[in-house]
Amino acid sequence: MRLTVVGNPGNRRVTLFLAAVRAAGLPEPWTIPWHDVASGAPIRVGPGSLVRIDSPGEDAEVDRLLRGAPTAAEPGEIVGLAAWYRGLAAAVRRVESAAHAVGARLLSRPDDILTMFDKRACHVRLAAAGVPVPPALPPPPTYADLRATMRDVGWPSVFVKPAHGSSASGVVALATAAGRVRATTSVELVRPGRLFNSLRVREYRREDDIASIVDALAPHGLHVERWLPKAGLGGRVVDLRVVVIAGRPTHVVVRGSHAPMTNLHLGGERGDLAALRRAAGEASYGAALATCARVAACFPGCLHVGVDLMFSADWRRHRVAEVNTFGDLLPGLRDDNGRDTYGAEVDALLADRFQPTTLAGAPA
Amino acid sequence: MTINERLTTFAGLPVVDFEPGEGGEDREGGGPAEGPGQGDRAAVAWRVAENDFDESEDQASPKFLAKLEAFLAGPEASTATALVIGAWGYAAMNPAPLNEICAAASRLPALRHLFIGDMTYEECEVSWIKLGDVTPVLAAFPSLHTLRVRGGEDLEFHPVVHAELRELAFETGGLPTAIVEAVAESDLPRLRHLELWLGTDNYGGDVDADDLAPILSGARLPALTYLGLRDAEIADEVAAAVAGAPVVARLTTLDLSLGALSDVGATALLTGQPLTHLRRLDLHHHFLSEAMMARLRDELTPAGVEVDLSDRQEEEEWGRFISVAE
Repeated sequence: MRLTVVGNPGNRRVTLFLAAVRAAGLPEPWTIPWHDVASGAPIRVGPGSLVRIDSPGEDAEVDRLLRGAPTAAEPGEIVGLAAWYRGLAAAVRRVESAAHAVGARLLSRPDDILTMFDKRACHVRLAAAGVPVPPALPPPPTYADLRATMRDVGWPSVFVKPAHGSSASGVVALATAAGRVRATTSVELVRPGRLFNSLRVREYRREDDIASIVDALAPHGLHVERWLPKAGLGGRVVDLRVVVIAGRPTHVVVRGSHAPMTNLHLGGERGDLAALRRAAGEASYGAALATCARVAACFPGCLHVGVDLMFSADWRRHRVAEVNTFGDLLPGLRDDNGRDTYGAEVDALLADRFQPTTLAGAPA
Repeated sequence: MTINERLTTFAGLPVVDFEPGEGGEDREGGGPAEGPGQGDRAAVAWRVAENDFDESEDQASPKFLAKLEAFLAGPEASTATALVIGAWGYAAMNPAPLNEICAAASRLPALRHLFIGDMTYEECEVSWIKLGDVTPVLAAFPSLHTLRVRGGEDLEFHPVVHAELRELAFETGGLPTAIVEAVAESDLPRLRHLELWLGTDNYGGDVDADDLAPILSGARLPALTYLGLRDAEIADEVAAAVAGAPVVARLTTLDLSLGALSDVGATALLTGQPLTHLRRLDLHHHFLSEAMMARLRDELTPAGVEVDLSDRQEEEEWGRFISVAE
């Protein structure tokens, strides 16, 4: 069994995956830099290999190429999200064609990758499969439109997310009451139309600032969900990131935060899973893991998915917040067999527990 | 910084959510509920909460009121010693069910501990929680030992006489001076525990250190052993006032946690009256230097004082912050 890895060389995602492949005694994978895929340079997929597509993130030049932009974005700048998505689509299809030409098969089906990177489409797919998700609104074109719709449906609080973002980029938790509004977000509003992602979650309480932020994000395409209060543990709001590999939830991390966004780079912390299981009760926790397996089944062309799952404030219910196609970067987290996510993925491949789909869409 | 968890314990008892029957409820992705058995009913603190969007501006949401009524009509109410009132609809729009709680007194004969406003930031931020005048609650429950209130919008409290109250707490993001004055003018002969979250002026707080003088004199708080002046942006000034406060000599616990206490305030404490008689000095969530933390420990720990210096904060470029400022 041989593998090809598409990634940013030197990025720890690639380093950790290559280490897992070596540890399993497999031959060194072919590697394709994202830069080559995105720039149109020739790419070589290993003949007959299994192809892992890892994240293009954390590289300003790759980001620029995917957006088709003349200049790189400033650090943290929120720009060209829809263009980036179109670039990603073209890039993964390019990898798919190159793989097909040499009898190689992808470990993540492009259609699945692109659905996970469109929060609206992802929500539709999950809801259609009966996976519990927060209720969503049609994408609002403006802040004023959003507020009017919230009044119509009777939702005082919503999560506003760019349709094609990741890592809480551009996410706004919006709460309203009579005559009041508050946006909690890591977005930094430099001036109307100029937004940056920062590492600090802060609040905006002036409506004109909040409108500026939402109106600047709206053209990128928005996905809006009802903001339902999440469970807390140890003084922090928590959610779970569950990595499902070959249909089985294997790695679970509790992410806790003092903010409504739990991403670890925004000051979130890994929490105590045993304490969470006690708080939720085994029935509720088990039901949540079962849901994660159902989520993975919605993306049958993917060896792994990373599911973000939230419990209700009373722990009795849960809902899926997001599904991540590059959601397996959880360094140091080991499953019951002592393997990290990458080791578990290689293991699943060696044990033949995952069937990549052929180009025609059917399992191989 | 925010409140992110509902209470898991209250008055020393585990908090259990009251749910009037499992049938017909939205069970979106959940598992079966696990609750206490019949015989355990008195051993828990019941929580009645319903997080629900309702636009009533003069009462709690109908769904909440129905749940409260179901609780009061059931067997749990007559033996309940502790009750937690959580979200009563959408607390930023619906006022707290204070009238209903007062009217329920005869159906809660065993009630000794009451918490009003157990909500997280995601349910309703503290300063948006609409309360109203909580004074009648004390009149309605003359046997109450504990009253804790969280919320800031429309909060009122007037001087009261209550023979049995042991613990009184106001958790806010900004406490109005009027509340402090009313507490100071109240007659609470058995009050052991007084806790005021002072907050910031951004959220309606206008207490300054001088306003605390009547409380710090201890004149009308003969039984006080715990004093908490918490979550204070003006923590340094509070510490300076506490350093010379007569009431401190009677305390077993002094709590200045969750605030913006810096070396300035800590120095005031160390150079003021002796604190070595305290069993506990709680300063968690603070901005003290390592050196100051060491000084406090060196001076107080040998005398048997438990000093809580956990949750040390770094002052960021945007300044110091209190724990609950919302």
